[in-house]
Amino acid sequence: MNDVIRIALTKGRLEKDTVNLFESMGFDVSAVRDKGRRLILPINGRGIEVVLAKAADVITYVEHGVCDLGVVGKDTIMEHGGKYFELVDLGFGKCRFALAGKKGTDFYKGYGVKTVASKYTNVTRAFFESKGMDVDIVKIEGSVELAPLLGLADGIVDIVETGTTLKENGLEVYENVAPVSARLIVNTVSMKLKKECIDRLVEMIEKELRNK
Amino acid sequence: MRKYDLITPEGTRDLLFDESVARRAAEDKLRRLFENYGYSEVITPGIEFYDVFMLKSRYFAQETMYKLSDGKGRLMVIRPDSTMPIARLAATRLKDEARPLKLFYSQNIFRINPKNSGRDDEITQSGIEIIGGSVKKADMEVLNLAAEAIKTFETEDFRIEIGDGAFFKILISGLTDDEEEKEQIREYVENKNMPELKNALEKYRPSERADILYELPKLFGGAEVFEKAENIFKDEKLISALEDIKEAYEYLCALGLKDKVTMDFSLVNKANYYTGLLFRGYIMGYGMPVLSGGRYDALAGDFGFPCPATGFAVNINAVAKALLKNNRAELTTPPDILVYAESDALQKGFLHCRSLAAADGVRAENSLNETLEETKEFARKKGIKFIDCVDKNGNVTKIQV
Repeated sequence: MNDVIRIALTKGRLEKDTVNLFESMGFDVSAVRDKGRRLILPINGRGIEVVLAKAADVITYVEHGVCDLGVVGKDTIMEHGGKYFELVDLGFGKCRFALAGKKGTDFYKGYGVKTVASKYTNVTRAFFESKGMDVDIVKIEGSVELAPLLGLADGIVDIVETGTTLKENGLEVYENVAPVSARLIVNTVSMKLKKECIDRLVEMIEKELRNK
Repeated sequence: MRKYDLITPEGTRDLLFDESVARRAAEDKLRRLFENYGYSEVITPGIEFYDVFMLKSRYFAQETMYKLSDGKGRLMVIRPDSTMPIARLAATRLKDEARPLKLFYSQNIFRINPKNSGRDDEITQSGIEIIGGSVKKADMEVLNLAAEAIKTFETEDFRIEIGDGAFFKILISGLTDDEEEKEQIREYVENKNMPELKNALEKYRPSERADILYELPKLFGGAEVFEKAENIFKDEKLISALEDIKEAYEYLCALGLKDKVTMDFSLVNKANYYTGLLFRGYIMGYGMPVLSGGRYDALAGDFGFPCPATGFAVNINAVAKALLKNNRAELTTPPDILVYAESDALQKGFLHCRSLAAADGVRAENSLNETLEETKEFARKKGIKFIDCVDKNGNVTKIQV
């Protein structure tokens, strides 16, 4: 048991990028590629178990120590918070948080309290708090771009990759909030109790990232 | 209107039978340990003034404390921690008591955790505080007792980790005076957030302090970290702090804990609460430290009576959980005998119960069922093996269920 380490991957793109990374490190990822509907998968011969989960759940599993490591986006980390070690910037899954709104309008103009729509309410709050600015925050689950178009909000805080969605809807980025990329996080107790296994894996990952 | 009369608040729970037994067993073990080493128990109030927990050298984020107000509108909190009330005690009522004071406590603390996090808001903590005395001797004593205390988990899979807040403090002091920046960097070091730490230190590098600071979170593990640290530490103060940790390590090794002790040079706690040696205990399968403590020399001074102090607390919820998981707690068992009295022999029945209870080791339950048939049914359900029937003359007939 001591020697098996469990790593939770954020389902979807980060999962694929991580699996590719593992493969380039020489790991046997066939079970993970050929997963079917299974959610816990072995990497044979390495004493590693891969768990597939939604982004926020990756953090929850790692925080509670049922998974030793996790791969999750900085966006989720910023929104969710929590206590764990954030060891490595994996470099993939790159995008950014940005404040956006209707093209050609000045978000900061006027004395009225602005309304900002976002799926990431904590990130939004922290951003405007750091500016010492009061804003009304509205939580939107789906396409946040709708909120300024429908007149609900003056701006949105959202993840921007290429900016195409914004452009197509007549919106533009006003300001960058924070860069985002995938991170390797580690449970604080696992880091200590399974140091050797985790160190070895982290070293391999860092070496591979340097070679890229 | 929705009423919340059928459930307990999030983060709290009812402990039934075995869980209660395990909880009390864990507390008893630690109580015995602390008493054997000459510690005296104190019990502090469940509610205190908010001000007690908002000190210069230590404070709790206000959103983590349960608050209420008293009759005069003053802000109160439900005890979020035991160390600060005890520091208050030491600086007030126990001010003139002979030093060192050796105190222990076993009481519940309450903290608000984020919603749906699955964390306990109510935790029983047992711990000790040493106030005054020789710093070195007191440090060794708390380590000694911490090592004893972690044995209550009855698992071999544990680690005690030692560190010292001094390393960070020395390194950061020469780097920047901006308190906000210091706190930000401290957070990165504490969370071993290497990517962000790298960014934050970028502008200070290359420089001796910044370079070492970047290495600090990696300096953890077994005895090999001493060598690593020796290779990069040049500053006299750093070397002296290193010697202190080494001494603590060797002390624990001499107690036969060589395989169980690790170091982490980047253990840093918020603000100045911990000012010297600090340590944590981990057990396999519990995702958070189960024991934590260290030196907090500045705390008593905040209450107007400066005095060096150190101590630690054990998370009793975690101990109870471990004991239950490993079947190490003596769990609840049904009484040995159920005593049934005829309706005209109630007094005789109770006397019989009492005489059984007086005989060592026999637990007798007085049946409150109307008829013998109901009593038998009850005994079967509860797993009680014998029924003693008592008639009005005090004659006892034994029935095996």
